[in-house]
Amino acid sequence: MQVFKLCLKIFKKNLPVMSIYFGVFIMVSIIMMSNNRPTEQAGFIQAKTRMVVFSEESSPLIDGMKEVLSDIAVFEAIEDDENQLQDALYFRRISYILRIPENFTEDFLAGKNPTLSVTSVPEATSKIYIDMRLDQYLNTANIYVNQIPGIDAQTLNTYTLEDLDYETPVQMLEADQTFGEEGMMPYYFNYLAYTFMFVVIMGISTIMLVFNDLNIKRRNACAPMSSTSVTLQFYLATMLFSLLSWALLAGLSLLFSRNELSDSNTLAFILNSFVFALSSSSIAFLIGNLVKGREAISAIANVFTLGSCFISGVFVPQAILTDSVLKMASFLPTYWYVRGNTLIAISADFSKALMIQLAFAVAFFILAIVVGKKKRMAIEA
Amino acid sequence: MIVKVDNLVKRYGNLVALDHLNLQVNAGEIFGLLGPNGSGKTTAINCILSLLKYDKGDIHVFDKPMSPEAYDIKKDIGVVMQDVAVFNELTVHDNIDYFCGLYIPDKKERKKLVDEAIEFVGLSDYRKFYPKKLSGGLLRRLNIACGIAHKPKLIILDEPTVAVDPQSRNKILEGIVALNKQGATVIYTSHYMEEVEQICSRIMILDKGKTIAQGTKDELKNMISLGEKITVEVFDITETQLKEIEALPHITSVIYDGKLVEIRSTKSKNNLEKVLEYIKTEKISFGKIYSELPTLNDVFLEITGKELRD
Repeated sequence: MQVFKLCLKIFKKNLPVMSIYFGVFIMVSIIMMSNNRPTEQAGFIQAKTRMVVFSEESSPLIDGMKEVLSDIAVFEAIEDDENQLQDALYFRRISYILRIPENFTEDFLAGKNPTLSVTSVPEATSKIYIDMRLDQYLNTANIYVNQIPGIDAQTLNTYTLEDLDYETPVQMLEADQTFGEEGMMPYYFNYLAYTFMFVVIMGISTIMLVFNDLNIKRRNACAPMSSTSVTLQFYLATMLFSLLSWALLAGLSLLFSRNELSDSNTLAFILNSFVFALSSSSIAFLIGNLVKGREAISAIANVFTLGSCFISGVFVPQAILTDSVLKMASFLPTYWYVRGNTLIAISADFSKALMIQLAFAVAFFILAIVVGKKKRMAIEA
Repeated sequence: MIVKVDNLVKRYGNLVALDHLNLQVNAGEIFGLLGPNGSGKTTAINCILSLLKYDKGDIHVFDKPMSPEAYDIKKDIGVVMQDVAVFNELTVHDNIDYFCGLYIPDKKERKKLVDEAIEFVGLSDYRKFYPKKLSGGLLRRLNIACGIAHKPKLIILDEPTVAVDPQSRNKILEGIVALNKQGATVIYTSHYMEEVEQICSRIMILDKGKTIAQGTKDELKNMISLGEKITVEVFDITETQLKEIEALPHITSVIYDGKLVEIRSTKSKNNLEKVLEYIKTEKISFGKIYSELPTLNDVFLEITGKELRD
């Protein structure tokens, strides 16, 4: 077991560097988890705009207009003085000034389309909301004026407010799949993909680089030991490294979420991460067979890990990503791992995601062996 | 016979690296493979070790056919590659222990052998050093220790002194002779003719994958017509006198650089005597005078028409 022991010695030698990576990534994972964890239930609260209304008359129509605006605005009491109003707008104490001229109600009922005077903070988004609400009220009222000749202001206001009370309920389907019920586990396991993949690619590729050195290869080939034995010992050691790395990260997840251990989904998350560990190790074998320098390993590990994690939904939910990005990501095991976590979080069947990850593991492993064999044959030729 | 190679042919595309090479290495000898860079020495070694596939020929080691799976043969071979093959992640001790462990599974026995190997190459003070901290010469010594720690019967050293300082080179050459005296048969490749002349009992000269001569160093030198080279330090000599020296029997050329006269001759028993007699007769005042026998470079030069280090 000389090769096996040697691999472990080399891993041990690289342990300080690996520990730094582990430490940094675990810290980043914890920070990211804390930032992304929802602090309240998914929902929407309308922000209110501060505004002033100066009306030169009083009527049920104007009362109705104010009532409608009160949903999205707070009315401030400021004296109708040009300097004071300009100061208020400049210092953003208010964002909107609405002036209703005299005889507005009368003209409106007569179908004359009277105009309202508006002063607002330039390019304020809140202005758009107020304008939309005003348009909504006046357009609805205008329909009644056109359709019911002689309608009085009180009736017009009642009808219009009734119409505007109707709301279409909107259910956020994707929002239902957030991990509110599952605590921090899905977040942790999603980020685990980044940490694990990086560490495993770095670890396995580094040791493969050592063994793929032509001089070392030839020197080992001179020894009375079969290449099968060398290969088996090598794979055994690297798989042990992967397993220990996975066990450390999966173990930490249990520590972080000890309050949620009773959840039956915890085991599913761990199983999903184990299968992902297999596919990541296979990718690491392939990369290790392709790269030629230590610097190249670091670069590829960074680019591949970050790239695949970004497009697969490790850092941002898959629901936010576009279809074309997701289609591209579906050729990577990371995508199916994240998909698996999402499904586990909502207690759905994740066996398909698991099987696809396993298929990736087998495919990449076979590819790594073929590349390795081709390289060996080229050396012997 | 320790190694027997018959009609070995190795091609790299259109290039014939080894052209029907025949080679025999007897037990107890230091066999030298001498040739310029690219002559096929390393290719021959790699074929003997079954590290390379070859197109034609037979290779027997310890009277058994050699193959990549011939582990019973490999266990008695020690290899020191041209390029240093050690692990930068392991210390001097751990490197030797790893390579020795590929041959010797017993931990106790291995410990003794590793200590002996460290002592033998003079790395006792560097046991815990990592290869990157070693100088070129010490690194070469580590490479040798990794190859010989398991006390093999056959040691193959492929240019082990390339880029090594003179002190380490002498240490390495002394070590090889010592290993041979302990009973190991040695195959030593080099393009340094002085080294091969110094330690090898039998020499094969290779050029472009072909054997151009083989034998003991005296046998090789006897193959050529060149006799000794006489160098005389003279203070004053005329053109006529130089021409008269050149006209002496067996003298082939006379070159004068203003200080030294270099006289080359074909083989004859009393060339030096005749030259001295002439100098005496002509009353030419001279300083040092010395005679050199032909070197392996002269052998190579006469056979191939080019210098060994071209």
